[in-house]
Amino acid sequence: MDFFVDSFLSSLILIRTVDPALLNIVYVSLKVSLLSTLIAGAVGIPFGFVVAVTEFAGKRAVITLLNTLLALPTVVIGLFVYMFISRRGIFGVFDLLYTQKAMIIGQVILIVPVVTTFTITAISRIDTRYRRTAMTLGADRIQTAMVILREARFGIVASVVAAFGRVISEVGISMMLGGNAKGFTRTMTTAMALEYDKGEFVLAVALGIILMSISLVMNILLNYFQGRTAV
Amino acid sequence: MLYSARNLKKTYNGRTVLDIPELSIEKEKIYALLGPNGSGKTTLLHILSFILPPSTGTIFYNDKPVQFLEKALQQLRKEVVLVDQHPILFSTSVHKNVEFGLKMRDIAKKDRRRITEESLDLVGMRDFEWAAAAHLSGGETQRVAIARALACRPKVILFDEPTASVDVENQIAIENIIQSIHRERKISVIVCTHNMLQASKLAEETLFLFEGRPTSSIYENIFGGKVIMKGGRSYCAIDDKVLIPVKTDQTGFIKISIHPKSIKFASSPKNDASSVFYDGRISQLSEEKGWIRILVNIGIPLSVFMKKKEFDLFGTGIGQNVTVKCSDYGVEIIGSETMPG
Repeated sequence: MDFFVDSFLSSLILIRTVDPALLNIVYVSLKVSLLSTLIAGAVGIPFGFVVAVTEFAGKRAVITLLNTLLALPTVVIGLFVYMFISRRGIFGVFDLLYTQKAMIIGQVILIVPVVTTFTITAISRIDTRYRRTAMTLGADRIQTAMVILREARFGIVASVVAAFGRVISEVGISMMLGGNAKGFTRTMTTAMALEYDKGEFVLAVALGIILMSISLVMNILLNYFQGRTAV
Repeated sequence: MLYSARNLKKTYNGRTVLDIPELSIEKEKIYALLGPNGSGKTTLLHILSFILPPSTGTIFYNDKPVQFLEKALQQLRKEVVLVDQHPILFSTSVHKNVEFGLKMRDIAKKDRRRITEESLDLVGMRDFEWAAAAHLSGGETQRVAIARALACRPKVILFDEPTASVDVENQIAIENIIQSIHRERKISVIVCTHNMLQASKLAEETLFLFEGRPTSSIYENIFGGKVIMKGGRSYCAIDDKVLIPVKTDQTGFIKISIHPKSIKFASSPKNDASSVFYDGRISQLSEEKGWIRILVNIGIPLSVFMKKKEFDLFGTGIGQNVTVKCSDYGVEIIGSETMPG
């Protein structure tokens, strides 16, 4: 018990003193996760919108595939991307392995299905009268699409928040594609895994507290937006 | 001619929901589109508002054939606005809802403000300009939807059952708004309703639809029943309790319409070759342009339509027992039904 309390108190002191090493890890984590979420949003929201509003052969198959991809393990993505970007891979010449870019590529693959499926759900829930109303009031296709997106905004924001929550807490991709290089690709989760291996718990617990705080904020946001969608 | 159409058909999954060989609608008039639920009124309204393409046939708008291509339709939609039966307002303020159509038409901000206020004034909703649209009642929503349509300065407004989901107070207000926008702005109006009284009150012209097809008059007193033979004549047995005389060689289940004007009150019941008498009770009375509509319960609710003078002769009223005469010439067979079970 003393060991736990000591580690916890020391980690609180570490957070309070704003340790530069700790700060750098948090910075890398947030930077990589935010960029991944931004790119996944730019891809997943339009893709989800198109799937939701258009009728095409194989639509159900696409939705089933996306739902399946939601359960894709991070280590599988790590392995898959590694095969492409390692020196022997077809994108080996770009020297991406063990960089933040490699981590972002993997994380984008992880959360595009999250953003897309959540967006499909949010758009599908929108009353069809919105589309008809926008059209009869003179809106063109893009303006009508904007009306639908606007009405589904809370659901869509919730999808982005959920996606961010997924990437900030993942470890497989960051470890396999980032390599946990200090100051460059070391994120909160990979640092925690390393500290655990070393038997050093103070930094790991400090990072755990920060990660849990971020997760709490994300969940509060998610609940808020999901609540707005349900109204 | 505002609209004309030839061989207009709309089918869903092989089922024809609208089949109109010919249609003509003149400019600057109020038309009522009358028909029971499921008669294709809303489908026709969606086609006339260029939201829904017909499966086959040609529509002419202002004597020009309509090309159901997105680009061309967008231009036409700027002249024709549809107000839904249960309109939906965007989840923002009333002001922004009414302003929406003006933004789509690239109207300057200063003018948008003025037109929005004018439109809300016209429907008596100016005080709600900055209210959240989601907090309005059904009647208020309907009025804001009308203001939103009016703000677009359309040449045609199509109303789908505008008073179906509002209280009496809002019903009267909406009817007055429809009449005033037609009178003051010369806007052509098509009101889709199943309410005969409302149609006669509002419209200069009436179109009747039944099961997707135009008819010369609205079918009323529609019942389904089995054809039976009794005493050498045919009857349609409704709910196995009321026998209505019909002229038919058909067997099985049929759908009939009893013309309300063909039903008469009788003082001395005496069955003849073509008529049958029924005892019933008056449950509802209303006046429509010098005619009296009487709802008589003879085991089934029967709508009777007679001149006020004729009705006065009987000196009867709500709750009174009466004898009505129904003749087979007033009964039209409008369809055959599949045998239930």
